[in-house]
Amino acid sequence: MNKVFGTIKKTQPYLGFLILGGILSLAPALVANTQWFLFAWLTIFAGFVVYSIASLGMNILMGYGGLASLGTAGFMGLGAYLTMVLTVDLGLSFFPVLILTILATTVLGILVGLISLRVEGFFLAIATLVIAEMLRQVFQQMPLLGGHAGRTMPAFPTISIFGIAEWTLNRNQTYIMLVIFLVIAMFVTQLLFKSATGRALSAMRGSESAAAAMGISIFRGRLLAFALASGFAGAAGSLFMFFMPFTNPNHWNLVLSLFIFAVVVIGGVRSVAGTVLGAFIVFAVPQLFIARLPIIGDISGMDFVFTGVLIIVVVLFYPAGLVYMPISIKNGITKLINKRKKGGETA
Amino acid sequence: MSILLSVENLSIAFGGLKAVDDLTFEMNHGEIYGIIGPNGAGKTTAFNCITQFYKPNAGKILFDSKKNGVMDLVGLKPHQVIGHGLVRTFQNVELISSLSVIDNLLVGAHIAFKSTLPEQIFRLPRARREEKQLRERAMEVLEMLDLTHIAHMPATMQPYGYQKKLELGRTLMMSPKLIILDEPAAGLNEVETEGLINIVQSVAKDLNCGILLIEHDMNFVSKLCNRICAISFGKRLAIGTPDEIKAHPDVREAYLGKSDEGGDVDG
Repeated sequence: MNKVFGTIKKTQPYLGFLILGGILSLAPALVANTQWFLFAWLTIFAGFVVYSIASLGMNILMGYGGLASLGTAGFMGLGAYLTMVLTVDLGLSFFPVLILTILATTVLGILVGLISLRVEGFFLAIATLVIAEMLRQVFQQMPLLGGHAGRTMPAFPTISIFGIAEWTLNRNQTYIMLVIFLVIAMFVTQLLFKSATGRALSAMRGSESAAAAMGISIFRGRLLAFALASGFAGAAGSLFMFFMPFTNPNHWNLVLSLFIFAVVVIGGVRSVAGTVLGAFIVFAVPQLFIARLPIIGDISGMDFVFTGVLIIVVVLFYPAGLVYMPISIKNGITKLINKRKKGGETA
Repeated sequence: MSILLSVENLSIAFGGLKAVDDLTFEMNHGEIYGIIGPNGAGKTTAFNCITQFYKPNAGKILFDSKKNGVMDLVGLKPHQVIGHGLVRTFQNVELISSLSVIDNLLVGAHIAFKSTLPEQIFRLPRARREEKQLRERAMEVLEMLDLTHIAHMPATMQPYGYQKKLELGRTLMMSPKLIILDEPAAGLNEVETEGLINIVQSVAKDLNCGILLIEHDMNFVSKLCNRICAISFGKRLAIGTPDEIKAHPDVREAYLGKSDEGGDVDG
């Protein structure tokens, strides 16, 4: 029986998350001690870490809630701009800024969630796209935010503990802090997926009427999915700002939202590890490897071609995402061996 | 015997079509009650009205609620109904494809989870306790259905007969007072149907839970139901015991056509 249908294993991936965090934290040491790990790569890695966090939120919304959004970039941008204003103009320190930013983006997410109660599918995607574009226009037009040119804030966060102790992180420390936040986000997402609320979101996506019959409020579920997704995006935008520390309106455009959408599709719907894998492929591989290949790397826009071809290949062969590739390869090999065995017996 | 559910003058129309027209019937606690009728008679529509998936145009649905005693269900939201002790299954089995068998049962216990989202995410004591208790309850249900061996397998990859049982099992998670089954035997073979009859009977008897069901299989309904309400074109034709219904001229006419039109059962 087990062989025919397979079992859903009780996976405990939490140790894996910690190991991944550990490996990613090695990057600054590699910059300092090796020739091949370039200084600029740390920025690429920081970007990948930040986009992973936003993509995890997207996976909650899309993979679990079954809701489409093309507004992730808008929420990330809002997080980044809020972080700048709160830090530079109001002089708040790291934790208050981060918490206020997450709160604000979550509240906006809930408002967008209200729209999702009335429209679905393509229409919802367009509604979220319009909201993100609206936000981008605001970033462009408000003088406080620096207009088209954008605005810079002092690099790297100052952490203050009730005003008693205060220290400013350097580039490496800030990077490691981002990794810590990624690991936290992975834990939260995984624990959510395995909780009663995660099951309720699954039920809502699987069958709305069955979910309602079991006492699950679609209203609450949708608002919750949007609140979490935009909270994650806001946190990602805020952390981005603390590392980079420059923002302009054009960075937070539709292409970025689509890339985050692609991360979930490529990596693995409803998989935390898959999301991070997808983010690495979409946001790090093109710049780290494709750009360094001879000839191909010199052609500008080749990274976009890479991502495009990859999405098509994944959708064709691994529609659930690359993270499920090992399973299908294993199944393929077992099939092949069985075939050989059978062939050998009959011959 | 006290009354569990009393449907009074229920009517709903879609455009000009009266799908359910002035339907009245009542059933007792622990009773197995059947609704039969030809295709398009309005049986599922009546169920959707009772469970508040549709809002009836007129009529009352008085239910002896777990919480409030006798109350009118009309006006509740669909997800609020289960809390009063009324739960349903669907004509097309509606299991959650990405979840395992046991997780599907736990979805049926959703309203028993009182812990908040942060409690669940950080696995605080209350959330852990709830999860443990309800998992045990789900295993009990699986044991009763003889399905413990598939507890951790994907639900929608199971054979159809198992899925049907599973959907019934999901309704048992909240110890309901009334279960509404929409064509529970459809697509099952004879052996599976016999098994289902036993399960439904023991649920009604052991849990003192009323069962209201729609079914086409007259044999199944006759074996199982204490009373039957036959409807056609949204209107009630007759109420009675299975034998009375089988013999009722209006019911025979609705199912088989008028005898002088050549559709007679003996002809």
